[in-house]
Amino acid sequence: MEKRRVVVTGAGVVSALGGSRAELFEALLAGRCAVRRMPEWCAELPGVPLAAPVELDPEIAKRINRKFRRSMGPAALFASLAALQAAEESGLDAELLGSGRTGCAVSSTMGSSSSIVEATALLLSGRREEMPATQFFKCASHSSAFNVANLLGINGVQLSPCSACASGLQSVGAAMEQIQLGKQDVMLAGGSDEATPAVAGSFEQLFALAGGDVEPERASRPFDADRRGLVCGEGAGILVLEEYGHAVRRGAPLLLELTGYATNCSGVHVSQSDAASIERCLKLALADAGLEPAGIDYVSAHATATVAGDREEAAALRNVFGGGVPVSSLKGHLGHTLGASGAIELAAVCEMARRGVVVPTLNLERVGAECAGLDLPVAPREKRIGAFAKCCIAFGGVNAVLIGKKLS
Amino acid sequence: MTREEIIAEINSIFVEQFELDPAELTAEKKIFDDLGLDSLDIVDLMIGLQRKFGIPLRQNEEIRKIVTLGDVYEFFVKLAKERPEFAANLKK
Repeated sequence: MEKRRVVVTGAGVVSALGGSRAELFEALLAGRCAVRRMPEWCAELPGVPLAAPVELDPEIAKRINRKFRRSMGPAALFASLAALQAAEESGLDAELLGSGRTGCAVSSTMGSSSSIVEATALLLSGRREEMPATQFFKCASHSSAFNVANLLGINGVQLSPCSACASGLQSVGAAMEQIQLGKQDVMLAGGSDEATPAVAGSFEQLFALAGGDVEPERASRPFDADRRGLVCGEGAGILVLEEYGHAVRRGAPLLLELTGYATNCSGVHVSQSDAASIERCLKLALADAGLEPAGIDYVSAHATATVAGDREEAAALRNVFGGGVPVSSLKGHLGHTLGASGAIELAAVCEMARRGVVVPTLNLERVGAECAGLDLPVAPREKRIGAFAKCCIAFGGVNAVLIGKKLS
Repeated sequence: MTREEIIAEINSIFVEQFELDPAELTAEKKIFDDLGLDSLDIVDLMIGLQRKFGIPLRQNEEIRKIVTLGDVYEFFVKLAKERPEFAANLKK
C-alpha cells in the first residue's frame, strides 16, 4: 500500500525564548540563551540550580477559558497555547477539527510534574479532601493530548506516546503514520514539558545536570569538551500535520514535508544512550524516506550536553553521515526541553529551511574529542536545507528520528 | 456573622475560583444552568466552601440538594443560626 504524503501546515511554539515560532527563531539566530539561576528551587535543590523557564504572562494563559484551563498543568497549558498558534497558522476551522478526520498526538515525559508533586504533598499531609477535582487531569500522562483535543474540539484519534525526551518526536512520528495510513487527514502533534525541581533533581542524582558555579548562559554546552550535563528547560511545540492533497485543496501553508520516520530502542540500558541503536534508527528513518545519508542537508541533533549522551550520538552521526553534513543542537540556547524538545526543535527547523540558515550550537567553543569528526557550525551558516533529520534520544534506551524536506 | 457577610464570602469563591463577574451573582441564578458550573466545579466549590467556613461538607446530604446560588446562601445562613460556633470558624 502506498503511503499518503504528509506535510506540515502550521507550527506553534511556547518557549523560554519567545511565545511563537518567529520569536524563538530570532532569539536562536541572535545566539540568546534562556538559562538562568533558579533561587526559587533552592529548598528542593540546594546550590542555586539552573534552568531555562518559560516566563508566561498570566494574561496570556487567561486567553484560554477557565473551563478548559482548569484541567491544565503548565505542560498542558504550554501545549494548548502552541496548538492554538499552529491551528491558526494552518487555518483549521471548527468543522474540520470536529470532523473525526482530525486527531491529535501530544505527549510529555509524564503528566504535569509540578501537579504530581502537589497531589503527593496533599496526600502525604492528610489533606486529600482539599485536592481539586481537576488534579488528576493535570497529572495524567496524556494530559497535554486531551487538553489540546478538548480545547480545539478535536474528536478523531488521540495519542500520547510518553517516552521521556523522545515523547514529542514520537508523537509527530505516530501522527505522521496516522495520516500516511489514511486513518486521519489532519493531526496536531508535538510535545510539551515543564522544568521542575523534581525533574531536575532526578537528573542531578545521576550526575547528568550542569550546575555549580558555572555562568548560567554558558552552562549548557552540547558537543563541547567542557560539557558537564544538561540544564532543564520547558515549553511546547505543536505542529499541524496534514495529508498533502488535503492541504493543497484547502490552500494551507506548506511549511515542510515529512518523508521518513523511525523509532527503536537499545534494549541495553535504561539510562545510557547507545551509538549502535541510534545509528540503526537513523538508517531506518533514512530508508523510510528513501534517502541515502548524502541526501541530508542538516541534522538537528538531540545533544543535551551530557558527557555520555553527546558522545554516543556523535558516534552514530559520524558513522552514518561522516563529516559532511552540518549538525547542531539547540540545547545551548533553550536547555533541554525534555518531552517538548523534538517538536520545538522541529518547529525551529521549519524556519531554518524556510530562511536557508543553520542555527549553530551555542556554547560550543572547543569540540570534545569524542564528538570530533562532525561538521558542527559555531556561527549561523547560510545553507539551502532541502532534506533534514531530527533526532531524539531518551531514557529507556529510546531513539526517534524524523526525516523531512522543504517543499520545492 | 451577618447574612450580608456570609453572602459576600460565598460570592468571593465564585469570583476568585470560577472567574465569574460579580454582577452575575444573584440569588436566583442556577449554579449549573445559569452560572455554567459542572460536576467537577461542584467538587471544587465544596472544597472552597469547606476551606472558607471551616466545616466538612462532603458527607452533608442537604448541600447536595442545592440548585441556585440563593440555596447556597440559605444553607450557610441557616447553619450560622443553628450553630453559633460556625461564625467563629470563618476564615478571612
